[in-house]
Amino acid sequence: MELSRPMQILRDVTAALVTALFMFPVFWWALTSIKPISAVFNKDRVVWFDFTPTLINYAVTLFGRSRSQMAIDEGLGMGVAGAEAYDSRQTIVDSIIISVGATTVTILVAVFAAYALSRMRFQGRESYLNWVLGQRFMPPIAILVPLVTIYSGLGMRDIQNIYLGYIGLMLIYALMNLPIALLLMKSFFDDIPKDVDEAAMIDGATRWQSFSKVVLPMVRGGVAASAVLCFVFSWTEFLLSLFLTTDIRTVPVKIQTFVTSTGNEWGFIAALGTAAMIPSFIFILLVQRHLVRGLTLGSLKE
Amino acid sequence: MSVAVATRAPWLPRFITSEHPLPWLLPAAALMTVFGIYPLISAFISTLYRKNAATRKLIFDPDYNWVKVFGDERMWNALMNTLIYTSVALVFQLVLGMLIALLLDSDRKGYGFMRALMTLPLVIPPAVTAMMFLMMLNGSFGVIAQGIIWTGLLPDNFSILGDASTALPGVLLAEIWQWTPFMVLIMLAGLRSLPKEPFEAAAIDGATNVQAFFKLTLPMMSKVIAIAVLIRGIDLLRAFDYVKVMTDSGPGTATETLTSYSGRIYFGNADFPYASTIALLTLILVIITSTVFMKAFKVKL
Repeated sequence: MELSRPMQILRDVTAALVTALFMFPVFWWALTSIKPISAVFNKDRVVWFDFTPTLINYAVTLFGRSRSQMAIDEGLGMGVAGAEAYDSRQTIVDSIIISVGATTVTILVAVFAAYALSRMRFQGRESYLNWVLGQRFMPPIAILVPLVTIYSGLGMRDIQNIYLGYIGLMLIYALMNLPIALLLMKSFFDDIPKDVDEAAMIDGATRWQSFSKVVLPMVRGGVAASAVLCFVFSWTEFLLSLFLTTDIRTVPVKIQTFVTSTGNEWGFIAALGTAAMIPSFIFILLVQRHLVRGLTLGSLKE
Repeated sequence: MSVAVATRAPWLPRFITSEHPLPWLLPAAALMTVFGIYPLISAFISTLYRKNAATRKLIFDPDYNWVKVFGDERMWNALMNTLIYTSVALVFQLVLGMLIALLLDSDRKGYGFMRALMTLPLVIPPAVTAMMFLMMLNGSFGVIAQGIIWTGLLPDNFSILGDASTALPGVLLAEIWQWTPFMVLIMLAGLRSLPKEPFEAAAIDGATNVQAFFKLTLPMMSKVIAIAVLIRGIDLLRAFDYVKVMTDSGPGTATETLTSYSGRIYFGNADFPYASTIALLTLILVIITSTVFMKAFKVKL
């Protein structure tokens, strides 16, 4: 569609403005994370840029410094106690362990089923696919209450055993991510002509050999994209983590604990929130190409 | 060339070799059974019990919870909120998503960068987004709230999330901001896959851009739109994160959705059978709406 020059400029400006509008909350969040407390809570007006930037929020949440100690060091008049509660180093470690673990389990379990559903014709294939799809539709809340009981029974509540607690969360995240990973990888397998493995099998390869030596290497990109999406969904999950854990805190749950009875620690919330966005941003830019396919469970290709 | 012999040991039954689908499908099926089907069944069984509030004992009473739930005004309120939340968010996300996709669908310099930026909100943890909007909607120092107050639409220090009439729109703002990019991305993919010829023909016949959009673009995009609405709709029906963090279903029950109501029972009076009943009702709602939708619009994922 050809546009006249003024119209083209109008379109460029509108596009830039709309994008900026959508970026504004992220920008504002990052800005808040470097504001001193007096600039966040200003009853008279919203403070934009007239403040002295500080890294105190990052120092407290990401490096475990004590805020009151820092306040004394910097000669600021805001000595508030409660350093450990805001130290989020363990939270970030927990989140990474769980997200990486869940992603690994999901991919390992899903890749085989995806291959079989793409390549083999057997009775019950449609039902299996519907089961997977149904799993995607199931609201996690529906299984939550029994899950807590089951986890307690198996000693998988993190108050009983922290390592089993990790495994418990990994497995339930793996279940939640399974449909996306499975259907997405199936769509990548579907893209590879069947002749490829048939040729390998005519040459005497078993199914397993044609899968592991021939087809799997051809869908590396698809597997990587699925893994990235699984990681992002595990990293951002909130409900299951909120209900199933007490000692282990993933980032989205931890950040809620900064809401205190004496006032919300917006500076710390903003710092941890900004830090939590960065890994997601990097990962998602890596898989831009397959994003639409992933978000639509493999049904739309770009 | 030598022909490799199949390496299967002869005493193995065929169904545990890689030629048979079973070993391939089993791990995923096991995960879905142990952590999906089994808890689902036990959730259903638990709804057949009544929890005695005083003794905390469970008494077998199969229709107690299911009769109770349909006479529960709070459930109807939560259902209404869920449906309003879902439909308002869907309409906004779909219309905005389409408009922004049309705007950004260009090969000119800079548009690729803007499209990449647009995907970023999608990967922020929703619970973090909710906190972000909680701060920005704060009546005394929130940048969005101050902006609205400045225009004179709301009185000074007005708490958007604390007022029953504006709390749901406030929560929806976060929802719409985060997930409109989802629609943008899908619509862009749809727009880019459209064939060029019909549009060239229409232009020769003197059709305007608006005509071309309604007569050509929309019909050709119907499948893409249906898939996007289905996927988004399912997630919206089980909305939890924004409501939990921003208003905790309040004020009162003004923003209570089915999922958050279930969570409130769970954390509140610990009536697990009833919490499960509400949760299963959400599942039934999702199944019915998605099945009807898929049949009506002939969508297949």
